[in-house]
Amino acid sequence: MLISWEWLADYVTLDAPIDQVVDRWALSGLNHESTEWVEGVPVIDLEVTSNRADCLGHIGIAREAAVLYSLALKIPAVDLPTSKQSVHEVLEVENLFPEACPRYTARVIRGVKIGPSPEWFAKRLRTIGIRPINNVVDATNYVMMECGQPLHAFDLNRIASNRVVVRPAAQKENFKAIDHRSYVLDPQMVVIGDSRSALALGGVMGGSDSEVSETTVDLLIEAASFEPMAIRRTARRLKLHSPSSHRFERRIDPQGLDFASRRCCQWILQFAGGQLLDGWIDTGAEPKVSSRIPLRRSRITRVLGIEVPWERCQDILSRLGCSLETEQESLVAVPPSFRQDLTREIDLIEEIARVHGYEAIPEDAMVPMVASAARPKDTMMHTVRSIACASGFSETLNPSLIGKAAIDRISPWTVQDPLGTSVPLLEGASHLRRSLIPSLIAARLHNQSQSNRDVRLFETANVYLSQTEQLRGDQLPKEQYNFGCIAESEPRLVRGVFEEMIDRIWGQEGPELEERMVDFDFLDKGSSIAWFLQGSMIAWVGSLSRSLAQANKVDGPVALGELDLDLLLASARSVPKLRTLSPYPAILRDLNFIVDEGVLWGQILSTIEQSAGELCKEVVFREIYRDTKRDGQGKKRVLLTLTIQSDSETLKGEQADAVVSRVVSACEAQRGAKLLAG
Amino acid sequence: MALDQFLTALDSMLGEARACLETVDSAEALEQLRVKYTGAKNGELKSIQKMLAGIEVKDKPAAGKRFNEVRDGIEGALEQAAQRLGGSSQQESAGPAFDPTLPGLRPRLGTIHPITQSLEHLKEIMGRLGFNVTEGPEIEDPWHNFVALNIPEDHPARDPLDNFYLATAKSSDPAAQTTQPARLLRSQTSTVQIRVMETQSLPLRIISLGRVYRPDAPDATHFPMFHQMEGLWVDRNVTMAQLKSVLRLFATSYLGGDVNIRFRPSFFPFTEPSVEVDYWWNGQWIEFGGAGMVDPNVFQAVGIDPEVWSGFAFGLGVERLCMRRFGITDIRDLYRSDVRFLRQFAT
Repeated sequence: MLISWEWLADYVTLDAPIDQVVDRWALSGLNHESTEWVEGVPVIDLEVTSNRADCLGHIGIAREAAVLYSLALKIPAVDLPTSKQSVHEVLEVENLFPEACPRYTARVIRGVKIGPSPEWFAKRLRTIGIRPINNVVDATNYVMMECGQPLHAFDLNRIASNRVVVRPAAQKENFKAIDHRSYVLDPQMVVIGDSRSALALGGVMGGSDSEVSETTVDLLIEAASFEPMAIRRTARRLKLHSPSSHRFERRIDPQGLDFASRRCCQWILQFAGGQLLDGWIDTGAEPKVSSRIPLRRSRITRVLGIEVPWERCQDILSRLGCSLETEQESLVAVPPSFRQDLTREIDLIEEIARVHGYEAIPEDAMVPMVASAARPKDTMMHTVRSIACASGFSETLNPSLIGKAAIDRISPWTVQDPLGTSVPLLEGASHLRRSLIPSLIAARLHNQSQSNRDVRLFETANVYLSQTEQLRGDQLPKEQYNFGCIAESEPRLVRGVFEEMIDRIWGQEGPELEERMVDFDFLDKGSSIAWFLQGSMIAWVGSLSRSLAQANKVDGPVALGELDLDLLLASARSVPKLRTLSPYPAILRDLNFIVDEGVLWGQILSTIEQSAGELCKEVVFREIYRDTKRDGQGKKRVLLTLTIQSDSETLKGEQADAVVSRVVSACEAQRGAKLLAG
Repeated sequence: MALDQFLTALDSMLGEARACLETVDSAEALEQLRVKYTGAKNGELKSIQKMLAGIEVKDKPAAGKRFNEVRDGIEGALEQAAQRLGGSSQQESAGPAFDPTLPGLRPRLGTIHPITQSLEHLKEIMGRLGFNVTEGPEIEDPWHNFVALNIPEDHPARDPLDNFYLATAKSSDPAAQTTQPARLLRSQTSTVQIRVMETQSLPLRIISLGRVYRPDAPDATHFPMFHQMEGLWVDRNVTMAQLKSVLRLFATSYLGGDVNIRFRPSFFPFTEPSVEVDYWWNGQWIEFGGAGMVDPNVFQAVGIDPEVWSGFAFGLGVERLCMRRFGITDIRDLYRSDVRFLRQFAT
């Protein structure tokens, strides 16, 4: 809201310097955006919050200043001469749409002479950014900027049959506005029309057909109330925002119509001459009287934490325009009609607080201490992120919505379709992510385009999984908190990161996981593995399929993996617990098996675990290599180390030998493994 | 091959090598000896290692052990000789030389995203003030996102164009479509306040942090997805003085002890009185966050008696704080995943 400092002086005499007044406004709810000098006049831009429609005119701002400085507010008196002819003789108004336009009033002035406004008047409009048009249009704009009530002047002789109808627009009705653009209306919009066509789009903008022009002699001055919802909807739908719609959307003073209408007529008579017909046309009922609001004195202290002198409270409320019935410990306030936002006790307390000044409230009140500790989830996330970073992965954050490309269809957690939004988040992105992988591949591609090499990225975020059945009642779709990562490497790197995370979060006592080869179509066949906890997948790892990699021109190997952090958290241990170490030395035995290429480490491991017995504490994979000269094609060598140890005695070589020989026989029998001597 | 034969061969090699290395007097000669004994292809150690294969299995451990000792012995002698010659003959050394000016072997470490760092920083500060972290769903219903927060049906914040409502599922049954309740991506973390007050017992002191969504054309300062922190304290006698005190403590902790802040009346549907907190920075007031006393309508919506309980809530945008802290000038950079950008914020 732009305020002319010079104009403001019409309503309040401020001795304080402008910077001080501006600060007081800011600290009582009208935030200061800027002050600029226009044509030698300071013009102040104030931010008016959406609850304060009363401050969308100079009088409202002046009232705030008058309250803050305990000064008198001067409201101009309007005394109008009228002709003998009654307005009802020349104009008829029918309101068919009171739901959107609860009150429509009209006055008529005949015999005006259109011309420029006086310079001082035009200058006031120019300084606050309104282009002067002529002495009639300027008067309507001036009064709107004075008291906040939008007005509209029609050329009476362009209204067919002197009859105005307030009605819903017809479906696809065409309307040409004074901005000389055409709009297509719908029946939820208010039209001010005559028997032929739409003259104005109610509350938003006038029409070019009934616009006041140089040839205009008779005027209809409209002052009406429109429902905020209807105006907001119209303005948004047509992308047509005007100073009128801005004010009507915020609910203007329903009792201010008469003053604004007369004030406007006063300027027109003064600048353009003519005669005001007697009376006005008023289609609406008198607005209902504001409600009575009780205020308890004790409640003020209870909310603010300070005592505001009772006299001060009363003074503030009455200066704001409330009429009061006061008692010792309470009062009843009836707010003025321009303060539609005041309906409850707490509203009055806020008024007292902001005018008395928030700075009067101390900043060193007692804040009692309470027990407070990090959540298990935060502790877990610290570990998860530390492991990822220590493994060379950098964290990235990506938008929760993605597009519809092949990469975006990657969905290891659900076969259900993605949830969508009616408006896209970014261009083409209207599907909620079912996996973090599509974003991570896109991130990899972006880095590739920037020549950033060997990129390792991770993200921790929710994925959104729709349920099979429709949502009912207060049900919400499933959000699963995932860790996802991508690396230019083979998948073992990602597997190792997941193993470390699970081991650290769960410790030794974690639940049993079932490892299974899985067949996701977006991964290379045979590269992918997943872990299940009681049938639910907790993590998977693999390499991006060749076809997707080629189609998206991804360079280099692409290892991927995702981990369900909700499931991980469900079994997290709070604190690691000591396990007693064996005081007896361990014996390490290296074994080098030759096996068929198709035998998996997992198979060898399970054979060893089943056959080795209790003394075998650990089986460590060392390496796989191939020696086709000696072993022939289709064979590989698997090198591993057994840790053999007892908790109760120092083992002898023969005891370790027994373990090794059991393992060797089992591997021979079950996996066709041949032990490589020495 | 018999064990003792093997051991003898080892011992004699070690003796000969030591004798030669003790008297070697040039780097060139030393290099020849190094190739003679430890050469990868035809070095004597390599040859004798091959004989190991012929040792009987039972003798292998002993043979292997001695072989290792001899190898270590020869390598030690080579090292000593090299050190002895080092002072005088470094320049003439033809072998590979260590270059101490080469860059160090640095561990390859990833970095934490600046937004995550900011979130953790905020949690840490608020944790010290007794506020526990809670969270809620990102997909919400209109009750938690609007109604309970005192945002009525006709409020502009509820406009379908100002929110990301979920598209209704395609259904062959038109009745099912109309009964499908509306869901939307939350436009504020204040939704968590409502969920917490609905389920947790009073008094409570919580913060919640997370992603929120509002349609906004992306530019240097706007992005349709961003992060908020929301705080809530409900107790029997929480006043605006405590609101100011907690936010003062918070601002001082986050922005520094010499920060100049001010509290300015504002308007939010879910708080009253409402306040905007500004801080003085580079010659102007910058918005830090919004706050206010919980509106009695909000308490009533969740079944809390506003005559008995009172409280305050506050919220702030994390991106703005993060960008100011790290000197980031374009919000979109936060969501581009460029590692050159991300690595700058390693801490």
